[in-house]
Amino acid sequence: MTAKIQAQRDLVAIRKLIAEHQRWDAIFALIGLACLMIGVLTFLALFIEMAVNGLPRLSYEFFTNFPSRRAASAGILSAWVGSTLVMVVTAVVAVPLGVAAGVYLEEYAAKNWVTDVIEINITNLAGVPSIVYGLLALGLFVYQFGLGQSILSAGLTLALLILPVVIVATREAVRAIPQSIREGAYALGATQWQTVSDHILPYSLAGILTGMIIGLARAIGETAPIITIGALTFIAFLPPAPVTAEPPFLNFEWLTSPFTVMPIQMFNWTSRPEAAFQANAAAAGFVLVIMTLAMNGLAIWLRYRLRKNIKW
Amino acid sequence: MQVQAQLALKAEVRGLSFHYGEVRALKDINMALHEKQVTALIGPSGCGKSTFLRCFNRMHDLYPGNRYEGDIVFHPDGLNLLGKDVDPIEVRMRISMVFQKPNPFPKSIFENVAYGLRVRGERNRRNVEEKVEQALRGAALWDEVKDRLHQLAFNLSGGQQQRMCIARALATEPEILLFDEPTSALDPIATASIEELIHELKQKVTILIVTHNMQQAARVSDYTAYMYLGELIEFGITDDLFIKPKMKQTEDYITGRFG
Amino acid sequence: MTTSEHLSKQFDADLESLRSHVLQMGGLVESQILAAIEGFATGNRELFERVINSEPRVNGYEVTIDGQCSHTIVKRQPAASDLRMIMAISKTVTDLERIGDEAEKIARMSMQIHERDRLKAQRFGEIRHVGNIAVQMLRQALDAFARLDAAQAAQVVREDATLDDEFRSILRQLITFMMEDPRTISSALEIVWIAKAIERIGDHAKNMAENVIYIVKGTDVRHTRFEDLEREAKS
Repeated sequence: MTAKIQAQRDLVAIRKLIAEHQRWDAIFALIGLACLMIGVLTFLALFIEMAVNGLPRLSYEFFTNFPSRRAASAGILSAWVGSTLVMVVTAVVAVPLGVAAGVYLEEYAAKNWVTDVIEINITNLAGVPSIVYGLLALGLFVYQFGLGQSILSAGLTLALLILPVVIVATREAVRAIPQSIREGAYALGATQWQTVSDHILPYSLAGILTGMIIGLARAIGETAPIITIGALTFIAFLPPAPVTAEPPFLNFEWLTSPFTVMPIQMFNWTSRPEAAFQANAAAAGFVLVIMTLAMNGLAIWLRYRLRKNIKW
Repeated sequence: MQVQAQLALKAEVRGLSFHYGEVRALKDINMALHEKQVTALIGPSGCGKSTFLRCFNRMHDLYPGNRYEGDIVFHPDGLNLLGKDVDPIEVRMRISMVFQKPNPFPKSIFENVAYGLRVRGERNRRNVEEKVEQALRGAALWDEVKDRLHQLAFNLSGGQQQRMCIARALATEPEILLFDEPTSALDPIATASIEELIHELKQKVTILIVTHNMQQAARVSDYTAYMYLGELIEFGITDDLFIKPKMKQTEDYITGRFG
Repeated sequence: MTTSEHLSKQFDADLESLRSHVLQMGGLVESQILAAIEGFATGNRELFERVINSEPRVNGYEVTIDGQCSHTIVKRQPAASDLRMIMAISKTVTDLERIGDEAEKIARMSMQIHERDRLKAQRFGEIRHVGNIAVQMLRQALDAFARLDAAQAAQVVREDATLDDEFRSILRQLITFMMEDPRTISSALEIVWIAKAIERIGDHAKNMAENVIYIVKGTDVRHTRFEDLEREAKS
């Protein structure tokens, strides 16, 4: 009889203990949720305020008009075209350089202290203030190489800026590939280049693209380096079109043309006292955030699609 | 199992030592590999059997700080596989390997098996298709996958994946097939089917298999080598070694007196 | 021969139990033979009954030990010396059981002779003599098994030749008796069968000795010439 009572008492004690621990579980979960909510709600509040102020201004004309002294007829045409062209240059420069550097560091470079030093430096470059890149670009691209205050300079500057991001993303993606896959390829008689091009690159594509898009999403919002190298704030013309109807069908004049980008346009409007321009700025900001969110969404979707075949 | 007295040799290992950096992992090994026979390498963990196996296809060259001493003479042309002027890639073109854990590429079954051929520059589509089918038949997998060659290899079961890896290794018609504990990640039924396969494969190719399962070595091999701490302790015909081993160390290991 | 322990204590215990059962069975069979021969010489009914009643126990041992062997094989997949030990035990147990059968035959036939009392069995000291040789061979074979002594086992094999010679000599004597007095033929024949049974006991002991050489040396010496066997045992 006493054994049974003892067992029951133990059970009650155990249950009390569990209940107490679960209380702490619940408390921590609540605290975590509250912290999360602070961040999310702050962002939502800013976003909603921007949307409320800016949405009325969104219209077809807003996207196709040039900036103007009259707030009502001002638009972001030159800004979003400029942003797009700069992003194209950035991507074209940063991705091959970054991927090649990342693959070299992971697959080819010997594992010694020199490589370690290079690795540390590259990762640290991601933390360099963007204005420093702007100054570097001013001296090097604009004056030394004589590329002028152009889309090309801006693209090169931003490429340098996001290069560490692309390199790190490439390296992470390459590192995630299990050694057994490499050994399997080598054991079949593949050379190092065959292994890289048939296996390493295709399997790390998801990670590389994700890194690229995240880098671009960051670059699209960079203002300081662009201002430093001399983007204009009030342009009422577009750079020459890259694709024309007559031969040669591609032309590269747009690379050397003056330009402006979205963040600069926003900055310009924000610094004007009229409330109407504030609304314009809000609208432009809204568009910029949507573009960034869209790029991130694209990165997530691409990663999901390209990783469907990968099981590691 | 009938074993002829004078079988041709596929390879001879002479005075092989191997160093990982400062550590001497293999010590002066001498062994013969008989043609179209299965030779098993057994021994406790850390005895160097996998290290020894990987010398045959120069896998150690992939990592820095490794050094070979001695020769592995490959017959009939007398090539020294470990020669400093011999390209490891050339060695791997003639000697294939199957790994412990099945390692299919994230590609289709067809592309997996065909990869070895692509690496060798085989572009003729019909040739590739024929060789892939031949390899899959040789691995006793053709009937199970012939209708889904272009599906992902990952969707196969563990045993099927391993047989596909065997097909992949066979597609290039290697002269020696190396198995590194091929069934240790598989269930007993898959293990039995792979052992059955090895028995058939040895009619066409010389096989060297590392296994930590002694009964598997007894079932599957014609010759067995017992290794301990980097040395080859005993080498002989499997039946003899398992019933009447010459060395006490071998006897202790196979009767479970080791320790 | 290695005497070190297995990593599995249970395996060691199983093997030890097997060996001791074999020795117990051997002891039982040995006492059967001694009782049967004593009974032949003295006609003591009690001895005959003791021998006959031991038969079921001997058979029980055979079944138990063979079962234990199967159990060990399936559980341990023995190799090398362990494998040879198990194989040899299984065969030895068959030989011991047959020896038991022979002892029982001797007892039954002796019983019949004494009931008829045509021939003075006491005069057949030769039977006792040859019986003792056979018992000695059995003892030596069991001892060689217990100590895994191949040289001693070779001795047992050599003794079998002596036993065969003794049997032939007994046969000649009995033939002489039968020719002298045909009324003794029935009993004489029975004594022939008894002598034959003893000769067979010697053969079984020889088999057991050959098994011991197999365990120790790994060579199957059945059906080889004695010179080769001795060389193998002493190597």
